[in-house]
Amino acid sequence: MFISINWIKDFVNLDGENIDEVIKRFALSTAEVEGVEKKGENLSNVIVARIDKVEEIPESKKLHKLEVFTGKETLQIMCGAPNVREGMLVPLAQVGSVVSGINIGKATLAGYDSFGMCLSEKELGISDDHSGLMELFDVEPGTDIKSVLDIDDVVFEVDNKSLTNRPDLWGHYGIAREIAAITGRELKPLEVEDLEKYNNLPSLSIGIEDTEKCLRYTSMAVENITKHVSETNMRIRLYYAGSRGINLLADLTNYIMLELGQPMHAFDKSLISSINVKSLKEDTEFITLDSNKRMLPKDTLVICNEDIPVAIAGIMGGENTEIKDTTNSLFLESATFDPTAIRKTAIKLGLRTDASARYEKTLDPEMTTLAIARFIKLLKGIDSGVEVVSSLTDVYAKHYPVRNIEITHEYITRRIGTDIPLSQMENILKSLGFGVETKEDIMYVSVPSYRATKDVSIKADLVEEIARIYGYDNIAPETKNMELKIVREDGAKTVDYIIKDLLSEKYDMSEVHSYVWYDTKKNKELHIKTEDNIKIINSLTAEDSTLRGTMIPTLLCMLDKNIKYMSDVNIFEIGKVWEYPTPNEATIEKKNLGAIFASKTKSEETVLNTALQMVNNIVVKTKNLKVSFREIENTAKYNWLNPINSSDIFVGDKCIGYISVLNLGIKNAIDKKLNVVLVEIFVDVLNELEYNEIKVNDVSKYQTVTFDLSFLVENSVKFEVLKNIIESTKLDNLQKYDLVDIFEDTEKLGDKKSITIRFTLCSDEHTLTTEEITSDREKVLEAFKNNNIFIRE
Amino acid sequence: MEEKLNSIRQNIEEKIKSCVTLEEIENVKVEAFGKKSELSNLSKDMGSLSAEERPKAGKLINEVRQYVEKLFAEKKTEIEDLTIQNIMKSAKKYDMTVPVSCECGSLHPITKVQRELEEIFKSMGFTVEDGREVETEYNNFEAVNVSKYHPARDMQDTYWLENGELLKTHTSASQNKIMRKYGAPLKAIFPGRCFRNEELDASHENTFFQLEGMMIDRDISVANLIYFMKNMLSEVFKKELNVRLRPGFFPFVEPGFELDVSCMYCGGKGCKVCKQGGWIELCPCGLIHPKVLEMGGIDPEEYTGFAFGLGLSRLAMMKYGISDLRILNSGDLRYLKQLGGEE
Repeated sequence: MFISINWIKDFVNLDGENIDEVIKRFALSTAEVEGVEKKGENLSNVIVARIDKVEEIPESKKLHKLEVFTGKETLQIMCGAPNVREGMLVPLAQVGSVVSGINIGKATLAGYDSFGMCLSEKELGISDDHSGLMELFDVEPGTDIKSVLDIDDVVFEVDNKSLTNRPDLWGHYGIAREIAAITGRELKPLEVEDLEKYNNLPSLSIGIEDTEKCLRYTSMAVENITKHVSETNMRIRLYYAGSRGINLLADLTNYIMLELGQPMHAFDKSLISSINVKSLKEDTEFITLDSNKRMLPKDTLVICNEDIPVAIAGIMGGENTEIKDTTNSLFLESATFDPTAIRKTAIKLGLRTDASARYEKTLDPEMTTLAIARFIKLLKGIDSGVEVVSSLTDVYAKHYPVRNIEITHEYITRRIGTDIPLSQMENILKSLGFGVETKEDIMYVSVPSYRATKDVSIKADLVEEIARIYGYDNIAPETKNMELKIVREDGAKTVDYIIKDLLSEKYDMSEVHSYVWYDTKKNKELHIKTEDNIKIINSLTAEDSTLRGTMIPTLLCMLDKNIKYMSDVNIFEIGKVWEYPTPNEATIEKKNLGAIFASKTKSEETVLNTALQMVNNIVVKTKNLKVSFREIENTAKYNWLNPINSSDIFVGDKCIGYISVLNLGIKNAIDKKLNVVLVEIFVDVLNELEYNEIKVNDVSKYQTVTFDLSFLVENSVKFEVLKNIIESTKLDNLQKYDLVDIFEDTEKLGDKKSITIRFTLCSDEHTLTTEEITSDREKVLEAFKNNNIFIRE
Repeated sequence: MEEKLNSIRQNIEEKIKSCVTLEEIENVKVEAFGKKSELSNLSKDMGSLSAEERPKAGKLINEVRQYVEKLFAEKKTEIEDLTIQNIMKSAKKYDMTVPVSCECGSLHPITKVQRELEEIFKSMGFTVEDGREVETEYNNFEAVNVSKYHPARDMQDTYWLENGELLKTHTSASQNKIMRKYGAPLKAIFPGRCFRNEELDASHENTFFQLEGMMIDRDISVANLIYFMKNMLSEVFKKELNVRLRPGFFPFVEPGFELDVSCMYCGGKGCKVCKQGGWIELCPCGLIHPKVLEMGGIDPEEYTGFAFGLGLSRLAMMKYGISDLRILNSGDLRYLKQLGGEE
């Protein structure tokens, strides 16, 4: 919203104030200021001049040679405007003037000298009209244009968003009230017509059918209007405030809206007999005054004449009762509607107007009569012959509650943290229009109606009023002593960070962030099939609407994106995934780690081993526990799982995730030369495991003894089988056992392989004897023999 | 006798000096101490000496023996050292200027900034909480005083799910749960991923990160808020900053503020970044609305508190000079790997 300082000065005397400083303080105390413009700054030395002679020239059809009288001399001016006329008074920029920041000099047009230029309104910067020269009336030639027209002004733009909660600031008078409070100056009362003197006139016929949506409807009728064009200075204000002149009556309704924030509507009175405000019973077609045909849905609040809609309440009037430039009688509407109803309709129709933007903010119904009184005052001032032909007709269906708040000095001080004297608090509230009565330490505050619709209702709201006008900059920063409380780490976060550090530092992995929904199009391209899951109902594209249930698809898409540029891609993300087990019930949110190792240079086995080591390390570093791997029984669950090379990851009997070589179909879709292993860890499950505290064992003083045994087993036998045999065999002095080598050679061993294990024996009490060593060795061999596994000789 | 010994000693000394290899040393040693050596002969001759002279002569011979032994040991060490030096000098010389790969992965910029902030807040006694991403309408809106048709919902285009839940539009969605979990007094931050239904461009993302904080106690005031924000932000930007408050409207605070910091690039003198104003709008904050406290189970008459929100994505962009918000969610390793300090 644009605010004109000239307009503000109608209500507050700002003599002696630095305007830039006032605007800055407004920004710090009231609302965000987006910019300040000095109107008229780029225009100087323009005077009013009289065209005495208009002469056509043979060289041009458009150009005229003018003789223009400046009050002192007559100048030759070349002019292309179509509306030049002898005797016309126009703005003239002589040689040495500045227009739009450009210095005007002597020019030569079509071979004729021109000692300046006559200007249009647009060139003066006071409207968009560039159809011809501006015409002035009743001014002495030679008068400075700025003494006739209010061209000089300071206009600042207030961010509308920062006024969302301030219905009172949607007009200049409300802003003036703030500025008066900030500068400590007096707010002048509004000059209005005394409407009581028309009480004896007949009233108008007004009915409110829907009293929920229409709170108040006030109107008055005027006839015998003879003027149809607004005064230039009024048009300049409208233009500076972002509006534009149409005709006197329309301009006046706009003027009142920009001044008081109260939207008004002017109907042609000859077309109105009886007003009824109601909600539509069915969808209805309607042509608004912008000549658009619109379908108004059922329940839209409309203003009807008898039964015919003539306006969409609070949004826009209809073409059928529009004020024309010749209209001489007026039915004036000043009403208050329910903000939610207006908002909903504006959104549904895609039609947000200056009026609806204001109604949405919950306007004060008390403003309707004030707006009419102001309107009549201004209209009579412009067109003295007008005749009010009705009494003020007012249907007030619903009042907002009156707000009174009791607040103590102490309450405010505790919340601001600075001791402001009670009398100063009282003055601040009064300057903003609040009623205040003080008894000892308590202020009994009555909230003015224009602040009471929703903005100010509780004590905290008064704290804000006092603090902001007092000035936030005047509050001294102060520390706060709080009781000492031990801060407990969120365990889940700690696990996240351990994993992130481990993966990035030890495994050369890069952390990525992906979107939480599947890229269905990309998935299809890569042959990734995802399960059905909960959907976003209003996403930008239908393809991006399913929330992820696993981390792998989004990571595979990222792999595909990056592998074009590099030979190895190792990426991971810890993110949220969702389950949606029962329609319309709540989703279950989980946190998973997805990790992908992909390489064009390393063998599949090498990549797999790195991934396996990573899985082991994650569990060791976060929980100091051991993992085990079990073949996934149903690899059809996800189509990125490999039917042969995939395992669930277990810690004890808890499945904490899975690891798999990437399914060939997807791999080929990304890059045939790639070797890819993927891991998904259920971080929540991992996090629930108890940390196994580290205990340091004493190192034996006695010597260790090692021996290697090579077992010959079928190719399909897993290491785990051997491990289980060893661990279930009671050995007296086994310290540890390690895998040394797995040897596969079809020529020498056929479909068997040889697994070599190194056994390390040691005792804490003595050096082992040959007998003890042999005994343990024999026990191992015996145990394996019982399982039909023999030593490779 | 003495003369003889001197000459023997000198003779051995010279021979040791001329040795070059360990082998030569051994030979000289045998020659010097062997059965047929001059020293041995001299010892044998001792029988011919008088009982008085014998101990004196024995002592002299011993002294020479010890002296020469020491020379042998020294020479041996000298030759061994020399040999090692020579071996090293003839070994392969490596090129230490050959480039090596870093072999380090990288953390996401958000993770880096988030952890840095978490550390700062933890040092000030704040609890760090992890919130959900899918939230209920109640937690996201109602519980923070945004009623159904509140115009504030205009500012946040929400992604709605088919079951009536939503992707949280702001970290404030966690406020209610945290107040209920801890009660007052309370100091907590809760970073998280947020979502708004927006078209993407260099400065708009539908998925971004915020970090929100709350501090609740008896008599928390605007003065405390200013003090806290000034110190906290100075720590975040590693620079002494000034802050100022402007009125700002957010339904969950009253009074609500927009907080500006003095421009960290020009120190408030005015530059391109702060559009010559000297201030940068950084974060919304305010005293927690009494209704929000009440819904969180905290008595607003007894307790007050402040809340603030920081845009983690924006901070990450500022910190790492990232020009386009979309890079953060792109997964493009050509950008992200740079965060590991590689290249």
